[in-house]
Amino acid sequence: MTPGLPSRAGTPPADWRDTRPPAGGRYSYAFLDEGAKREIRRRILKAAAIPGCQVPFGSREMPIARGWGTGGLQLTLSLIGPEDVLKVIDQGADDSVNAVNIKKFVTRVTGVAVTTDTAAATMIQTRHRIPEEPLQPHQILIFQVPIPEPLRLVEPSERETRRMHAEADYSRMWLYLYEDIVKFNEITVGARYPVLVNCRHLMDPSPIPRWDLAKLHQGEALFLFCAGREKRIYAVPPHTEVQPLSFEDFAFRVEAFAGRRCARCGSGGTYLDEVIDDATGRRTYACSDTAFCEKARRSCGAAEDSPTREGIA
Amino acid sequence: MKPVLQVRNLTKRYGPGCPECLERTGARHETNQCPRCRSILACREVSIDLYPGEVLGIVGESGSGKSTVVRLLHFDFEPTAGEFFLDLNGNGLTGVGPGQNLFALSAFHRRQVRNERMGIVYQNARMGLRMKVSAGGNIAERLLTAGWRHVGRMRNRASGLLEQTEVPVERMDELPRNFSGGMQQRVQIAKALATRPAVLLLDEVTTGLDVSVQARVLDLIRGLQQELGVATLVVSHDLGVIRLLTSRTIVMRHGCIVEEGLSDQILEDPQHPYTQLLVNSTL
Repeated sequence: MTPGLPSRAGTPPADWRDTRPPAGGRYSYAFLDEGAKREIRRRILKAAAIPGCQVPFGSREMPIARGWGTGGLQLTLSLIGPEDVLKVIDQGADDSVNAVNIKKFVTRVTGVAVTTDTAAATMIQTRHRIPEEPLQPHQILIFQVPIPEPLRLVEPSERETRRMHAEADYSRMWLYLYEDIVKFNEITVGARYPVLVNCRHLMDPSPIPRWDLAKLHQGEALFLFCAGREKRIYAVPPHTEVQPLSFEDFAFRVEAFAGRRCARCGSGGTYLDEVIDDATGRRTYACSDTAFCEKARRSCGAAEDSPTREGIA
Repeated sequence: MKPVLQVRNLTKRYGPGCPECLERTGARHETNQCPRCRSILACREVSIDLYPGEVLGIVGESGSGKSTVVRLLHFDFEPTAGEFFLDLNGNGLTGVGPGQNLFALSAFHRRQVRNERMGIVYQNARMGLRMKVSAGGNIAERLLTAGWRHVGRMRNRASGLLEQTEVPVERMDELPRNFSGGMQQRVQIAKALATRPAVLLLDEVTTGLDVSVQARVLDLIRGLQQELGVATLVVSHDLGVIRLLTSRTIVMRHGCIVEEGLSDQILEDPQHPYTQLLVNSTL
C-alpha cells in the first residue's frame, strides 16, 4: 500500500463538494484539491462550449507519470461523485495493467463502484478506443490524449498552430493528406485521424482507430479529451458534427476486416485485434473491446452472432 | 479606367517614431533614418495605382524600400500606416466589401484576399515554396486553401500550370529541392498563378539566375502576362528586367518615390538626378 494515502476514502462527506478533506484522510475527496477540481471543471465548460477547441489548463502532478493517463485521470477525478460508476479501459481491455491501476487509484480516493459493463458505467475513462456498445446521454467518455495538436504533424511551432486554428487555416493538413495520396495512392494515417468538429476546429481524436470515428459523430454521450503532459482539454458535446477529412475522389475509409469474426464470441462488425499463436503461428481475431466480447459470449452461449451496431465488414 | 490595385500613403517604420520622422527623412535628406529618434522608415508615404492588365515596375537600389512595399502588399508583415484597395471584381469575398481598406481587415480576411486574389514570386524559391513538398503539392496547396477538395482535378490543374511554365510534367511529384534554380522559379510562378489571381507580385524573380536562364524566365513571364492579362507589379534593381517587362515604372530611393512615368521615358530621359545616375551606371 502506498504510504500517505488513506486505505479507502470510506464514506464520502455528506456534501462531497465540501472543501474539507474526508475525515482522517490527508487528501481531498478524489485526491485533487478543490481549487484544482474547480479549475478543471471550468476548463471543461469552456471546451464543451467551443467543440474541438483546445483549452489550456494547469495540469497537476499526479501519482502516475505524465504520459500514462494523467490527463484523463484529472478529468475523471474532477468530475466524479459518490454515485458514479466507473469503467476504465485500455485499448478496449478492462484488465490491462494501466486500466487496473487507474481503477484501483480512483476507488481508493473516492470509494466509487467500478464496473466492466459499458451500459452500467456513468463515467468511462479510455485509452485509444471507444466501447462498441452505443453510449447513453447520461454517460461521459474521457479520453487520455498523448498529442492534442492535430497540426503538430505539419507544423512544429505552437504559436503557428494556434494562428492556424484561429484562422481555420487547415490547408497544411490537407496538403499532408494530398502528398500521402500522391505517394501511396491512399491516405496512410491510421489512428489519430484528423477530424473537423462542428465544421470549424480541426481536432485530434486521440489515437483511436478510424473505426471509432463514426461514434463521435452526432453521439449521445459527452466526449472529453485531456492531455496531462501537454496541458490541454477539449471536448465533443453530444449531437455535434464530427467529420474526418476526406477528398471527393478519395473517400475516408475505416479499417476493413474482410468479413472476419471474433474467434471468442463470434461477433462480426466489431473492431478486431489480430492474435498470433506463438507456438503454431496461427492467426486468429478477437474483439478489441473485451467487455463487449464477454457480454456477447454470455448472452449467446458463445455460439451465435450477436446483434451489434452495423459496421463495415 | 479604374485601377485594380490602389495604395495610398504606405509607410513602414522600424523604431519608436517621432513627429519629425517624415519631415527629416526621404530622398531630399538622403537618408531613411530619422536623425532625432533613429527610426528607420523602410518606405514612407508611397502611393501606387496599378491598372488592369498593366505591368508596373519598381526600381531602386538595395535598401530603397521596394521589396518592403511588395511584402506589405502581400501582408507578410504589418504596415505602420497606409491604405490598400483591391478591385475585387464584383464577386467580393465574404466579409470583404468593395472599397474596403485591406490593411484594416482581420488576419483571417487578409489571408483570404491574399489566397484568392494575389500571387507572389520571391527572389528565393525557399520563401515561396515548401521544399519538403512535391512541386505538384506546392501548387495544390494554393488550390486547397481556395477550397478545392478533389485530388484528380487538382492534379489536372497543377500539371496544366506546370506545362504552361515549361516544367516537365513528369517531374511533378518530385521535391522542388531537386530542381535547378530556374525550374524552382518556374514552379513558383505556376504556384502564384494557380488560383488565377487579380494581381501578380514579382519580387526580384531573376536575381541569382544565370543570364540564359534569366532570359527564359523573363520570356515566360512576359508570355504568361500577355496571355492571362494579369496586372503585375515587378520589383527589380535590374533595369534590363524593367525595360523588358514593364510599361510604367516607379523609381524609389530612401523609402520614397522619386520619379514615376512610362518605362521608355524613364530609361531614355530620366529627370531625377538619382534616376540619371542609375540609368547611366547600368547602360
